[in-house]
Amino acid sequence: MGTLTRRALLGSVGAVALGGLAYGGSRIGCTFVPRNHPDFFSLLDVVPDDAVARRIGRNALTLASISDNLPALSASLTEQPLIRQAIEESCPTARMNLVQDQCALDFAEMKTVVVDGWVLSETEASLCAARVLGSASA
Amino acid sequence: MISDLRSGSAPAELTGDVCVVGTGPAGITLALELSKKGRSVVLLEGGGASYEADSQSLYRGSVIGHDNIDVANSRLRQFGGTSGHWTGMCAPLDPLDFEPRTDVAHHGWPITREDLNPFYARAQSYLDLGPFKYDFADWQAMLPGKALPLDPAKVFTDIYQQSPPTRFAEKFDEAIKTDPRIDCWLHANLTDIVLKDGSDAVQRVVVSTLDGRRTSVKAKTFVVACGGIENARILLNCRNQRPAGIGNQNDLVGRYYTDHMTIETSTILFNEGVDTAIYPEEIDVEGARLAIGLKVNPDLVKQLHLNNNSAFLVAQYDKDVYNDDFRNYGWIGFTTMVKTFSRGHLPDRFAEHYCDVIDDFGAVATGVYRHAVRKVAPPSRAAAFKLRQDAEQSPNPDSRVTLIADKDPLGFNRVALDWRVTSEDLLKLRRTHEVIGAAIGAAGLGRMQLGISETPDLEMAFSAYHHMGTTRMHADPKQGVVDADCRVHSVSNLYMAGSSTFTTGGCANPTLTVTTLAIRLADHLAVAV
Repeated sequence: MGTLTRRALLGSVGAVALGGLAYGGSRIGCTFVPRNHPDFFSLLDVVPDDAVARRIGRNALTLASISDNLPALSASLTEQPLIRQAIEESCPTARMNLVQDQCALDFAEMKTVVVDGWVLSETEASLCAARVLGSASA
Repeated sequence: MISDLRSGSAPAELTGDVCVVGTGPAGITLALELSKKGRSVVLLEGGGASYEADSQSLYRGSVIGHDNIDVANSRLRQFGGTSGHWTGMCAPLDPLDFEPRTDVAHHGWPITREDLNPFYARAQSYLDLGPFKYDFADWQAMLPGKALPLDPAKVFTDIYQQSPPTRFAEKFDEAIKTDPRIDCWLHANLTDIVLKDGSDAVQRVVVSTLDGRRTSVKAKTFVVACGGIENARILLNCRNQRPAGIGNQNDLVGRYYTDHMTIETSTILFNEGVDTAIYPEEIDVEGARLAIGLKVNPDLVKQLHLNNNSAFLVAQYDKDVYNDDFRNYGWIGFTTMVKTFSRGHLPDRFAEHYCDVIDDFGAVATGVYRHAVRKVAPPSRAAAFKLRQDAEQSPNPDSRVTLIADKDPLGFNRVALDWRVTSEDLLKLRRTHEVIGAAIGAAGLGRMQLGISETPDLEMAFSAYHHMGTTRMHADPKQGVVDADCRVHSVSNLYMAGSSTFTTGGCANPTLTVTTLAIRLADHLAVAV
């Protein structure tokens, strides 16, 4: 078993202190760096908060094609170009239109899922599912 | 001239250039077209001038496959054949229906849609239809609304035409009676097809009344035009010289029976303000009555390995008074009687219709009441639309007509109908509906709820009574009973006419194509005879 020397102890403390300084400095510095972190969860407001939407969401979560992990689901949704735009859009009507356009694009590309027999776009089913997951984790 | 074999006035042998067995749309069209070209025709009808129960009973048989079908009453054994009760929807088969498809076994005719176009155009007038125009673009300017703005590469708006429906017995009775080249005999049931000894040619056919009066018919050429089930039954029963039945050396007669699966299912909810005006009701335009539906693009049908389908929108209303759930045999009987009386005739099978009305009096009363209310207060907007279709089946050699031991009074074995409806057919229809639902979603018009589950309930499929495929057309005698000219491969002067020759059924109601093929056959025979 090795011996803990004073040099080693001081070195470790110094390394930790330097690391802390680097981290703290970075945190402070990064507050001045503009970044694009869309607020995915605000987008869920376009999903009606009613029994039908919740039922669609619950049933969509049983499909293999829709993740039941909220971060993963939100990541896949924000990969959709019109959904990214919708997240950044502050006007509710424009947001809704962008989401609807993304749904139409899904349909045109046959990116559809069947939930309770309804032929839905992957986006709308995923949004309903995300709302259910979001409510559960809130 | 029309004579009755029961009168005893028939000579021992009737002669003509062509003997046509059967007086439905195929037989009558063929006889009239041949006569126009100067050929003499002996035209034979097993039944009488109108419905007779003892004649009709010859069609009795058994159903041993999918049982939402009928073998006895869906066809009519009487002058005019089944045109006596057909509903009149008409459309040509699509080019796709004729193509060989690598993804659908046994698919493809030895002729193309283009080959049939001139004959389709001539068939229109036999069925009292408008011009031979079935593209939406031909009619859109005359319609009271617009087509749904769907991507035509996915789904487009499709046109059918509605015949009055033409009753061949009423329309052509006088023409047949006064035609000097047509010698028509009623109650002349075919009981044998006799081949010349040592040859592959028909020498004569033997016919008989139910009470045993017999004669025979000699002709250069013979055509059997008795419908999709009876054509096969006749060939299979003529076993005196061909033990397996005439034309059946490759065990194909009766196989590939196909029908249209009549199904009303899947629901579309349109957004507020979507114009659906042209879809739910038939529309009278210049010279034609149109029915308008939705069809998946043929390229997509092939790409997704689907069957062909035309879907018509049936409006669903919140208020019962606008729904049509009262339609049953009683209502059909009632409307048949009303229509026939309004033309100054006594309906065929009056007693049967009358009793249907009595049995279903509540439904009839409901129907009359609802129609009266609708005149006063038309519905404002449908809550939803269901898709009604006569969907195509994939060709299936195991779906078939066979003979059973039971015999009819003339000594012919009766038939068993083994209609096969498969999960695969229904899953293809489900996928078709998904494509329509996606097209509606892509256009931002609404959403669709599918009515066919991933494990389909076969009981949802009902026969459209479109009996097809039992003597199918194919260039290869090992894959079809008749060749591209409708001639039985193994018999030099025997032809089949009607829907039994269809290689695939497509999704169009068959009568227009039946009539079209009859005209084409007449042109061929006029040259050949």
